Amino acid sequence: MPAYHSTFLAEEDTNARIIGNMAILPLKTTFKGPALPCMESYDIIDEIIDLFRANTFFKNFEIKGASDRTLIYGILFLSQCLNSINYNTNKNEAIKILTNLSLDDFAIPGDIGFPLNSLYLPPNNRNDSVFLRQYLSQFRQELSSRLIGRLYQSNNNVPSKFWLAFGRKKFMNKAL
Amino acid sequence: MSSINTPAVVMDNGTGFTKLGFAGNDSPSWVFPTAIATRNSNSSSTTNTSSILNKSSDLSSINSPYTSSDTSFLNRNKISNNSIHGNREMSDLDFYIGDLAIDASKGPSYSLNYPIKHGQIENWDQMERFWENSIFKYLKCQPEDHYFLLTEPPLNPPENRENTAEIMFESFNCAGLYIAVQAVLALAASWTSSKVIDRSLTGTVIDSGDGVTHVIPVAEGYVIGSAIKNIPIAGRDITSFIQTLLRERGELDSSLKTAEEIKQKFCYVCPDIVKEFRKFDNDSEMFAKYIVETVSHRKVEIDIGYERFLAPEIFFNPEIASSDFLTPLPIIVDQVIQASPIDVRKNLYKNIVLSGGSTMFKDFGRRLQRDLKTIVNERVEASERLSGSKSSGVQVQVISHKRQRNAVWFGGSLMAQTSEFRSYCHTKRDYDEYGPNIVRNFSLFSVP
Repeated sequence: MPAYHSTFLAEEDTNARIIGNMAILPLKTTFKGPALPCMESYDIIDEIIDLFRANTFFKNFEIKGASDRTLIYGILFLSQCLNSINYNTNKNEAIKILTNLSLDDFAIPGDIGFPLNSLYLPPNNRNDSVFLRQYLSQFRQELSSRLIGRLYQSNNNVPSKFWLAFGRKKFMNKAL
Repeated sequence: MSSINTPAVVMDNGTGFTKLGFAGNDSPSWVFPTAIATRNSNSSSTTNTSSILNKSSDLSSINSPYTSSDTSFLNRNKISNNSIHGNREMSDLDFYIGDLAIDASKGPSYSLNYPIKHGQIENWDQMERFWENSIFKYLKCQPEDHYFLLTEPPLNPPENRENTAEIMFESFNCAGLYIAVQAVLALAASWTSSKVIDRSLTGTVIDSGDGVTHVIPVAEGYVIGSAIKNIPIAGRDITSFIQTLLRERGELDSSLKTAEEIKQKFCYVCPDIVKEFRKFDNDSEMFAKYIVETVSHRKVEIDIGYERFLAPEIFFNPEIASSDFLTPLPIIVDQVIQASPIDVRKNLYKNIVLSGGSTMFKDFGRRLQRDLKTIVNERVEASERLSGSKSSGVQVQVISHKRQRNAVWFGGSLMAQTSEFRSYCHTKRDYDEYGPNIVRNFSLFSVP
């Protein structure tokens, strides 16, 4: 049984906009941005958090569609988040660190610094490019805020060591 | 010969562990590492060439007043004699086997050796001494009064059987000998399971010990040698995977021993890892704690998390632990059966038998059966689509039973306690009359 794929693959034809070859899926979020509100109770962010721990063990991943690329991006960003905090970071510090990380200047597909350019197509035009950047910024903020909920579920002062341990793993041998 | 009523001795010498006991018992009386610790100075004087080694042998003669220069001269003469009975002298009695060997090798004067590598005996001199100690120190029996059942791996060369017989009959003078293939004994051990109805010697054996996992198809008592496959994932890999997970999490103790104990006490096979992660999120009871006592008698508490189900998962998803071997166990089993003759395949699918300590994880058999069933059903459906005719279906059944850990030994014990057993053995008299090549063939026997 290989690594897990996104469950949004099936509905991406009807439900999602595709930029480059990455799916722009609806999000349940209060952060400002261009994403459509999600009507379901389970969105791509939930899925990333769910699949993250299982998928980080895998070095090989067969991309089956645009949603899988969104999933990969999310998983790699989650790794980056885990690596930027440590066992001594408390909840407030973590919120600060991760918000900065999500809003920091980041590379999008097509940019020179983007590590997955062999797998992702660049956006077709400038408008798409601006849209993708706004979407990813919103996506990163929502993901990091939900991650903090998970990390500090039991204790506000210490992050869960079970989660932090996964920061050492490299999904597909890549990192953002 | 006074061997009318004595039980047969069953010895299963594996790469990692040796199981010793008498036929008729339901578990071996001794299980210990197949290790032998021999005196260091001995090995240096037998490999004399360089001046440094000569010096060390001089030192040893100073240390022990009994080894005069005469004996070292004798030693040199004996080097040319490479037969398995060569190199006998008093210091040859100075050795330990099993757990004692491992303890002894911690000191400076003994070195530890494993005479069996990859299931096959590599060092006959050490193996002879290992057997000697097994018989006289552990079993405490007179070999001339007992029949012996030994085991061998599949595809063991007949020369190895001859060497074994030579030692057994000439050094130990044992009454009779039968050498059985481990996989066949494992099949026999599964007869204790209630799922087995017909007691046939046809089936697929999955034997997973410490070093390697073998998948061996057996048809009517004969191993189908061409279809055997080995998987480089077994107990040791699971333990070291647990160790890496503990280290990545920064647990206070991540020694091999701790990892080994976590493996034995806490691990199980789950149906699906993502669902299992969710189960851990919802139920903090799934996390366990384990208390280790360190060398300095300090108690250290260790948290146990996802390794409970991730560790055995490497059989089904080898990718999570290794980068060079990626095929899951169910696929290997399927390939093995597909490579076997077509007329036995159905029976091979129907009787998949587990053996060895690394198959002891809870639900291991169930998961294997489910995954294999999926593969088989897909193939059946595809062929139904292509041919347009209805298939009668293929039954896939994985058999777990209570004797799995020492299945090979237990199967041997079952067989050797039957009244027919002795008629299938080769006796000392046969050996004297026909010579060692008599053991190239053993007739199969089935238990009624």
